[in-house]
Amino acid sequence: MGEGTTIPESRGRLRQAFRLVRALLRHHKRTFFIAVGGASVFAACTVLSAVIVRLITDDVIGPRFNQGTVSARKVVVVLGALVVVGFVRAAGVVVRRTWAGRTGWRVTESITSEVIDRVTLQPVPWHRHQSTGDLITRAGVDAEAATAVLQPLPFASGVVVLVVLSSAWLLITDIPLGLAAVAVFPGLIALNIGYQRRVDRFYNTAQEELGALSAAVHESFDGVAVVKSFGAEGRETERLAVIAGRLREARLGAVRLRSTFEALLDGVPTVVNILLLVGGAYRVRAGEMSVGELTSFIYLFTLLVFPLRLIGFTLSEVPHSLAGWNRIRELLDQPVVPDPALTLVPGTDGSVVLRDLHFSHDGERDVLSGVDACIEGGRTVAVVGATGSGKTTLLHLIAGLVRPTSGTVTVPVGGVRLVLQEPFLMAGSVRDNIALGSRAATDAIEAALAVAEAQFVHALPAGLDTEVGERGVGLSGGQRQRIALARALVRQPAVLLLDDTTSALDPTTEAKVLANLRAALANTTVVAVASRPSTIALADDVLYLADGRVVAHGRHDELMQAVPAYRRLIEAFEHDRAALDADAAARLP
Amino acid sequence: MSEPISRWSAVETIGRGVRAAPALRTGFGLTLAFALVGAGGRVVIPIVVQQAIDRGFGPAGVKVGVVAVLAAIALVVIVIATFAQRTAVARLGRRSEEALYALRVRLFEHIHRLSIADHSEERKGALVARVTSDVETLAQFFQWGGLAWLLDGTLMLLVAGVMLAYDWVLAIVAFVVAAPLAFVLRRVQSHLSRAYDAARGRNAEVMTQISELVAGAETLRAYDAGPHYARQVEAASHERSNSFIRAGTIGAFLFPSGEVFSVFTVSAVVSVGVLRGPSSGLTAGAMVGFLFLTYRFLEPIAEFTEVLDQTQTAVAGMRRVLGVLEIPIGPPEPEHPLPLPAGPLAVTLDRIDFSYRTRGDSDEPPVLMGVSAHIPAGQQVAIVGETGSGKTTLGRLIARLADPTAGTLLLGGVPLTRVSNADLRSRLTVVPQEPFLFEGSIAANLSFAVPGMSLAQLHDAIDSLDLRDWLDTLPDGIDTEVGQRGSQLSAGERQLVALIRASLVDPAVLVLDEATSSVDALTEVRLARALEWLATGRTTIAIAHRLSTAARADRVLVLDHGRLVEDGTHLELVQAGGTYARMYDAWVTSTSAS
Repeated sequence: MGEGTTIPESRGRLRQAFRLVRALLRHHKRTFFIAVGGASVFAACTVLSAVIVRLITDDVIGPRFNQGTVSARKVVVVLGALVVVGFVRAAGVVVRRTWAGRTGWRVTESITSEVIDRVTLQPVPWHRHQSTGDLITRAGVDAEAATAVLQPLPFASGVVVLVVLSSAWLLITDIPLGLAAVAVFPGLIALNIGYQRRVDRFYNTAQEELGALSAAVHESFDGVAVVKSFGAEGRETERLAVIAGRLREARLGAVRLRSTFEALLDGVPTVVNILLLVGGAYRVRAGEMSVGELTSFIYLFTLLVFPLRLIGFTLSEVPHSLAGWNRIRELLDQPVVPDPALTLVPGTDGSVVLRDLHFSHDGERDVLSGVDACIEGGRTVAVVGATGSGKTTLLHLIAGLVRPTSGTVTVPVGGVRLVLQEPFLMAGSVRDNIALGSRAATDAIEAALAVAEAQFVHALPAGLDTEVGERGVGLSGGQRQRIALARALVRQPAVLLLDDTTSALDPTTEAKVLANLRAALANTTVVAVASRPSTIALADDVLYLADGRVVAHGRHDELMQAVPAYRRLIEAFEHDRAALDADAAARLP
Repeated sequence: MSEPISRWSAVETIGRGVRAAPALRTGFGLTLAFALVGAGGRVVIPIVVQQAIDRGFGPAGVKVGVVAVLAAIALVVIVIATFAQRTAVARLGRRSEEALYALRVRLFEHIHRLSIADHSEERKGALVARVTSDVETLAQFFQWGGLAWLLDGTLMLLVAGVMLAYDWVLAIVAFVVAAPLAFVLRRVQSHLSRAYDAARGRNAEVMTQISELVAGAETLRAYDAGPHYARQVEAASHERSNSFIRAGTIGAFLFPSGEVFSVFTVSAVVSVGVLRGPSSGLTAGAMVGFLFLTYRFLEPIAEFTEVLDQTQTAVAGMRRVLGVLEIPIGPPEPEHPLPLPAGPLAVTLDRIDFSYRTRGDSDEPPVLMGVSAHIPAGQQVAIVGETGSGKTTLGRLIARLADPTAGTLLLGGVPLTRVSNADLRSRLTVVPQEPFLFEGSIAANLSFAVPGMSLAQLHDAIDSLDLRDWLDTLPDGIDTEVGQRGSQLSAGERQLVALIRASLVDPAVLVLDEATSSVDALTEVRLARALEWLATGRTTIAIAHRLSTAARADRVLVLDHGRLVEDGTHLELVQAGGTYARMYDAWVTSTSAS
């Protein structure tokens, strides 16, 4: 899809359609024109079949029923021609449909790939400005919508050929009657287009209402426990009924319009045809036309009714496709955000050095305002701070996921692994999730699982090859965290970043995991956001963050002595329990 | 399929469906009559051509007058037919939309009234699908397939009738030659259905992979796995194209088969007609008329195969919808409710068993077995146990979100099954583990508990729980938008809103399912404070995930694999050295920094 820009939706419809189709067909012209070729064969054979109807009437039925005889040879030739033309016409349809489908899906595939490549190329800061649902829609639904116009287009092109050839044949047969028939075409086409446009408005509204209904139903059923516990079943049903009512109204609008137009689109051509018959009677009486020619005339006209509808239908696809295409262009036209990982300064040993690090989202209030720290290689550091003190951001900066507003991060580039706070598992096996595209040996995976205390994996139905993620077995938060931890460990990182990674584990398991990490990662630098005192106590040092700065960096017990704010934070937790113990003790008899 | 599906045949399903949505049946006979008259408009041309050739274009010369009279009659017929067709289409459309609306509302009502046991996580998506995509397959059916049955069905009937009236021999010839088409189409159709099923499966696969690629962007970036997964999506997208193209190719052969059969049928009709000649009573006009009628007759057949497929889909959708309506609504309202006594209420559990209902016949292993306890009015009880011990379920039973499989629950001495829903909801309130907030403001979420509360009352409730300082930190105070499912608030803040919401009900019994998610220190303090205010003077049953909550309670009930294994105060249980003591030791270790 090299072609660069969105297509303004205000321009003339045909011109828009032309630009859109040209952009879509960039790499798939050949398949498209094969489809158009098939449609043209169909059109030509349709007209030919009308010629044969004339032959049947004038040369077969006429002689036999009016004069009494007809030569067998003539019958065989005419009917043979009928069969041959029928087969060629059918072949035209097969070619048109097959290649139209091929064109549409190959173009969709190209667009999807382009979107996927771009989404993958864009780094984390770009993703944070996107809505997940919106991106999914663009890569999936919009890519399909953009190409929707390609499916009926070859047929519609064939219809143009059909109109031209039929007009020619009608005029050749009889000029006055032909002129009358041809004059009706624009009116019929306009009726079709007008109908499609108007009915589409209702369909679009209905589609929106359906989306709203789905969202509301999702929400309501998700919250069913709340609904029930407040006895709000009736109220919720009424609320949803109102939205369902709007959907019904939009659909009823379409029904009213459709019933009228469907009847007219059937009735009007029939009326025209009857009038042509009367006109034809005069022409036959005047000796200008044979009965067969008139019959073929009427026959051809009946054949045109359906194909003419296709032009309206195709044009009605243009706005949808255009909207889909433009939404995709919007995504692709956004410049690629430079990869924040490129701002990392490569270090020589396993140490992590932060120099005057600032960070803010979109230039608003600083999340980090001048962080300085040097974490020596091989040490385990707990990052402690109140909620909102910038702990997670600090880890993301070290991992090179986001770019500092100013300042530098020096790390062993390529050797940093971050375990996110909320682990994300891909659909696939446990093994896939740990390897995550790398070629990790089973031994290495098993070792990582052992350190992460994730032996539960062996109890899963298919062990390492058990499907997890959306359609796989359900895992608890703690189990997911341990798989995510194994994912980092299997890569033997020089620096391991843990963002409260053991928060969902029960205390016993957490203690085991932490002990395993200490034993297994003697040479690895570990930077761990921690909130449980037991976790903090296991670290060599504590980095205490407050208001976007490092307030203190040292051993836990030193900080407890020297930094009152730190002590208060830690004690808040311990106090809680001490008070309760005292409280409970007091109640003993 | 994780939901019950009725096992009725297609005919039974349609019958039951019509009973579930009676608007479909109302006046259907009349609609059919209008459609039949409407179809008359589409056989006018063949009949007029026949008549004109036989009466107007005789060997004696052209009688324009005769043709004009025929045309005049035809025009009248067309006007009537057009009107009739419009009426038939409008009637079908209106009736079906009314019926679907009624069906949707019935489903909302029914699903909301199902026991929480039927709202398990695995089923949630299925229930949403029932009222959205399944009802939508019915809507699509009525918009296209149903209409085609009505219009094309009546047309074929009428055309066949006219053919027989013209000449029964030729008609039989036409039917016999065309008949194999039906078999060919059914054959191809079943291939086509399978091919499209496969293609739709591929499409779902692509969509899943795309959503993972996007949702997992940070993880993929942190592990440099983006390009690997991008290739995977692209491969899946290529496979999707292939399978749609394959299905499209099969379809491409299906449609023109009608064309091929038409030319054979026409050839056969003309040959037989010519052989028999005028002596058999056939006329030139009837022959030409037959030509037109044969095309008309075969025209809708190819479309019918698609319609048949759509009909099958719609019947399957209807079957699933009926399956949901078949699930009995959960805890049924008592026929003769007993009033709850005034004042604080005691809760009594008497040999409670419970298991979740699942996929049809097989029952899941029991979640609770023989749980008995008496909780006096005003007592603060904590229920503890590991994940899967059944403590959350026990809370739900006490709140009557489901009924126990066996055993009795008493509230203030009254069996829970005899308490009216309204009475129960005004005296007992649950604060769920992950409190659910609806998109809207905090005020709107609070009012959900008791509609029609004044703003002042809401503020009073906030003050009474000592949460004014928290509310003041929010950008728009009580009007702050909480976002979808409360996403604009932290997990702890959602809990706070849920506590205020519960306090508005002023219940005698409070069932509190504690959150597992970690909460920042300040919110933790606020939660504890608010909870203390809320619990004062009420019977409180806390499903405790933190042992600090258990330690604070008057009494601790310990569940283990669905059985009540320990019952006593915190200290008693710690000293007893059982399950609770082990859990407590582990917790102490984790919260000690030294």
